[in-house]
Amino acid sequence: MQIKIEDDFWQGDDEAVITAWLVDDGAEVAEGDVVAEMMLAKVQMEIEAPCSGVIHIEMEAEVPLKKGMVIATIDQ
Amino acid sequence: MMAAEKKRIRKLTIAKAMSEAIDQAMTSNPDVFVMGEDVGKLGGVFGTTTGLFDKYGPDRVRDTPISETGFIGAAAGAAVMGMRPVVELMFIDFFGVCMDVIYNFAAKNSYFSGGRQAVPMVLMTSAGGGYSDGGQHSQCLYTTFAHLPGLKVVMPSNAYDAKGMMTAAINDDNPVIFIFHKSLQGMGWLGTAKGAIVDVPETVYEVPLGKANISREGSDITVVGFGNTVHHALDAARDLALEGISAEVVDLRSLAPLDRETVLASVRKTGRLLAVDDDHLSYGWTGEVIASVAEAGIALKCPARRIAYPDVPVPFARPMEQFLLPNAEKVKAAVLSLMNSVVSV
Repeated sequence: MQIKIEDDFWQGDDEAVITAWLVDDGAEVAEGDVVAEMMLAKVQMEIEAPCSGVIHIEMEAEVPLKKGMVIATIDQ
Repeated sequence: MMAAEKKRIRKLTIAKAMSEAIDQAMTSNPDVFVMGEDVGKLGGVFGTTTGLFDKYGPDRVRDTPISETGFIGAAAGAAVMGMRPVVELMFIDFFGVCMDVIYNFAAKNSYFSGGRQAVPMVLMTSAGGGYSDGGQHSQCLYTTFAHLPGLKVVMPSNAYDAKGMMTAAINDDNPVIFIFHKSLQGMGWLGTAKGAIVDVPETVYEVPLGKANISREGSDITVVGFGNTVHHALDAARDLALEGISAEVVDLRSLAPLDRETVLASVRKTGRLLAVDDDHLSYGWTGEVIASVAEAGIALKCPARRIAYPDVPVPFARPMEQFLLPNAEKVKAAVLSLMNSVVSV
């Protein structure tokens, strides 16, 4: 399953940034775990795992993010 | 079939780790409360009080006006009366307006009262630059507090230490200046050293104040850091290992008390010393550390050296500020030059 920046995550077309991955690439995560923190215009948001499994990080922290980007995948 | 139980890693930023420590202290002790600018609904400009307002409400998580003189004075008064305030000075650069109550009252009251009236307050405050915020928002200045008797002055370099040291600070009967470095905090607009975001237990635990930590063991040279410069030292040490140089990295974690024993033991082993700080050079803790080694009579294989912020105000312009800051490259270059130098007899 992909973790994707959905269109309704925030209003407008601003770029956001992952401020920190809170799991390592290849770590086991459980559904609902906070796996990353993201920031948009000084507002911090949490990204939760949509399912349990092994996470593969696709986007490193501190890279600008646009809507529609896949930031990680989870092998269930 | 039972899958092998993998240990669940739960990483936190320093911001979240500090918040969790304060949260757990507030749950177990009704005398603990928080005051500061934007510490309420916003959760602190640097994320230090995340989630506390919703959980504990406005009586125990108090947003204040921009009046450090007033609310830090109120915190010191509350501490004397038996409360355990955690109060935030948003930027250490602003200590000028509230210093009298810190060093003439909070730091001295236990002494003046013959030990009968402690001031168990935690003053948490941000330090450090590197993100072009100008000369009144980018300073370290923590050494100024360390010079004054009666205060504990600490700074974590990672989230594990941040939680344990905050718990220890709240439980301590002395006033504790709890510094957090903006480059380690985990707030995106500041950039964050990756090594600061580490696995943090959910249980309550203390990391003792005044104990340094060996962040990396080595045998050729001791590199002492504090806060952000620990990460510069670790980055340099990884590079140096590839060149066959084994650097030991000491994270001071505390300026007052200063854990001289750990530093001395390391330097006795390695015979070389580099101290790295991003506070101003002159009269800084790097000099104190080198003096302690000299006073202990430890024979060095090469002169001791320090890297610190030059004695100039912090420039706003990014290239100028970056030029002046310590970094891993400067640490590496200094170590290489020390490894090739000898003490003249």
